[in-house]
Amino acid sequence: MADEKRTPSPMDRVWDFFISVKLAIVTLIVLASTSVLGTIIEQNQPPEKYHQIYEDWAFALMDRMNLFDMYHSAWFLLMLVLFTVNLSCCTIDRFPKMLKVVRNPRTKLDGGLEKSLSLSDRWKKKGNLSEWAAKYAEALSGSFSKPKVTEGGGEVHLYAETGVASRFGVYVTHLSIIIIFIGAIVGNRFGFKGYVNLTEGDSITQVPVRGGIAMQNLGFTVRCNAFTLETYPSGQPKAYKSDLSVIDGGREVVRKTIVVNDPLQYKGIWFYQSSYGQAGGATAQVTVARKDGSQVRTLALAANEPVPIDGYGIVRGVDYAQNFQGKGPALQVVVVKPGQPAATFWLVQGRPDLDRERGDSLVFSFRGLSTKMFTGLQVAKDPGVNIVWLGCALMVIGLMMAFFLSHQRVWVRLRKGTDGRVEVVLAGTASRNRLAFEKRFEKLQTGVKAAGQ
Amino acid sequence: MSNVILFNLTTVLFGVASALYLGALYAKNEKISAVGTWVCVLAAVVSTAALGVRWYESYQMGIGRIPVTNLYESLVFFAWAVNLFYLIVERKYRNRTFGAFVMPIAFFTMVFAVYNDSSIQPLVPALQSYWLHIHVITCFIGYAAFAVSAGVAVMYLLKARQENAKISKGVVGLLPACKVLDDLVYRAIIWGFPFLTAGIITGAAWANYAWGTYWSWDPKETWSLIVWLVYAAFLHARVTRGWHGKRAAILSIVGFLATIMCYLGVNLVLSGLHSYGGG
Repeated sequence: MADEKRTPSPMDRVWDFFISVKLAIVTLIVLASTSVLGTIIEQNQPPEKYHQIYEDWAFALMDRMNLFDMYHSAWFLLMLVLFTVNLSCCTIDRFPKMLKVVRNPRTKLDGGLEKSLSLSDRWKKKGNLSEWAAKYAEALSGSFSKPKVTEGGGEVHLYAETGVASRFGVYVTHLSIIIIFIGAIVGNRFGFKGYVNLTEGDSITQVPVRGGIAMQNLGFTVRCNAFTLETYPSGQPKAYKSDLSVIDGGREVVRKTIVVNDPLQYKGIWFYQSSYGQAGGATAQVTVARKDGSQVRTLALAANEPVPIDGYGIVRGVDYAQNFQGKGPALQVVVVKPGQPAATFWLVQGRPDLDRERGDSLVFSFRGLSTKMFTGLQVAKDPGVNIVWLGCALMVIGLMMAFFLSHQRVWVRLRKGTDGRVEVVLAGTASRNRLAFEKRFEKLQTGVKAAGQ
Repeated sequence: MSNVILFNLTTVLFGVASALYLGALYAKNEKISAVGTWVCVLAAVVSTAALGVRWYESYQMGIGRIPVTNLYESLVFFAWAVNLFYLIVERKYRNRTFGAFVMPIAFFTMVFAVYNDSSIQPLVPALQSYWLHIHVITCFIGYAAFAVSAGVAVMYLLKARQENAKISKGVVGLLPACKVLDDLVYRAIIWGFPFLTAGIITGAAWANYAWGTYWSWDPKETWSLIVWLVYAAFLHARVTRGWHGKRAAILSIVGFLATIMCYLGVNLVLSGLHSYGGG
């Protein structure tokens, strides 16, 4: 009633604000344009780096606006919250209405409805009204749902539809976004992300998380048995491989060689190949033998580190050459015996007997350099990730429903005309892709008209 | 490398097709654009063969990988998809004038590709994943659809100006009616949007499998989200607020500019984890 037109309460106004699509469009555009900032300003860099790029006043301003970690800033999160609230309110507002329309479709083609439909056709037939109604119902049910028949006032109405699911597509999509956010929050609250460098042979039971300010217990032990780097003939890296063992309850329960794109998972915690490097300097393997060939011991010489041999002297590895005088890899050693001048000489890896020429009581042979490597492991636990994937799957399904299905509805009205013939009206509409529906409607027209001839 | 020869031939064919379509518009001669269609079909065959040959040659070299892994390959794949998408549109809408606005996109993409390194390089460890195939293919089908939409949006803007002035002569007179163009701007986007969504999701799944995090606000990820948001805004404006015509066309062009930024700009201008496409 006109006189009941009242000013909306503040509550209504707030509600109207949150259910408006205009707000959704504005939020989408604002989110899109502000997101650009964080791709231009490098995120989460040390302050010194920013000081090099920006003037002091600009740095202070950007720092205050959290532009150096903007995607986790309060204002950005607030926009995401606004986006989600808007999305939820729109759904709460519109979903029941849609459900009502879908559950109680207008089954009668009255004059008003007929006028609102762009596609319609009318013709007349001789004969019995209910017989024609039955024939047309049969013709409709071929490509549409079984028609609902409404009789009354000397008229028969047929209503048939197809693709109702298309109406749900948008809600499935919106729900999927909320599910993804829930998954992200669950992962954030109950999961962790850490990074650790693990030297070959070493083990860990905990990893540093949150940038190293806290330690997270794994509840088991992980050991790196070996790290290998494979290269293509051109020298480009082909594979980074870490041979890992999981030790739980005192025994090895899992052993797996991980590479990038093939992580190890144990008890919900994932280990990803992320980085690698040399752990400390290289050591040279040198075997020591007597003149008769019997082995004395093997030395592991770190650079310039003196190693004593009882009753002989002190040995130091002082230099290494990749290709010594064209003979291949070689190690330069210095031997100091008590009361004698230091002897400096080269040991070639490919010629283990070369040192015999020196005529000393002990013969040294260089067996090669060995470098200990460390592997850099990304360690993550994310109990929310499957919720995120569920949301992602729903999103694709929802979009398909919304875009590739169309809710198509057709009506037929039969009524006895003044001339005694049956007046027939066929009309239809589609929720989307009207051009395609026009073609379908044309087909239906011929199909229905041909029925019973 | 025979694949590169075939791709160069494709470039020439795209150039010829673009010239024929544009020429047909100026000469107002349907027959010229009919030849353009056959050139496009030939280009589709040659470029498909080129992709196949490149794939085969990578196995010959002992590398063996899908040809969608660097900038050169993604450009030729994009052009391949645009051409195919265009042929579908031309067939469906029975109008060849689209070619003058869409084929130049494919042509200039190929010209740009020619200036990039076309050698087949082995995959770095981060790219050795089955996710690579589905991620790149879904993204680029989406991009191709957005390219078609933007091309048609330009046509719409030209046509709308003329319809407003109530003229139907000249080059623009040959373009399909505004209603048809407007519909196609939208239809190309509703094809592109689910593919872009799938591309972002497969990218996230891959990132999670390779790095242990499905979203890290890396510039590439962020720009893909920006593109997604722009088209999401387009769809909401159109479906629920009745944005048709000029405003929708402009938003489609903005969306495609964001797409180009996401695809090329991020690799060429910004730095981040996702730097493979720039090599």
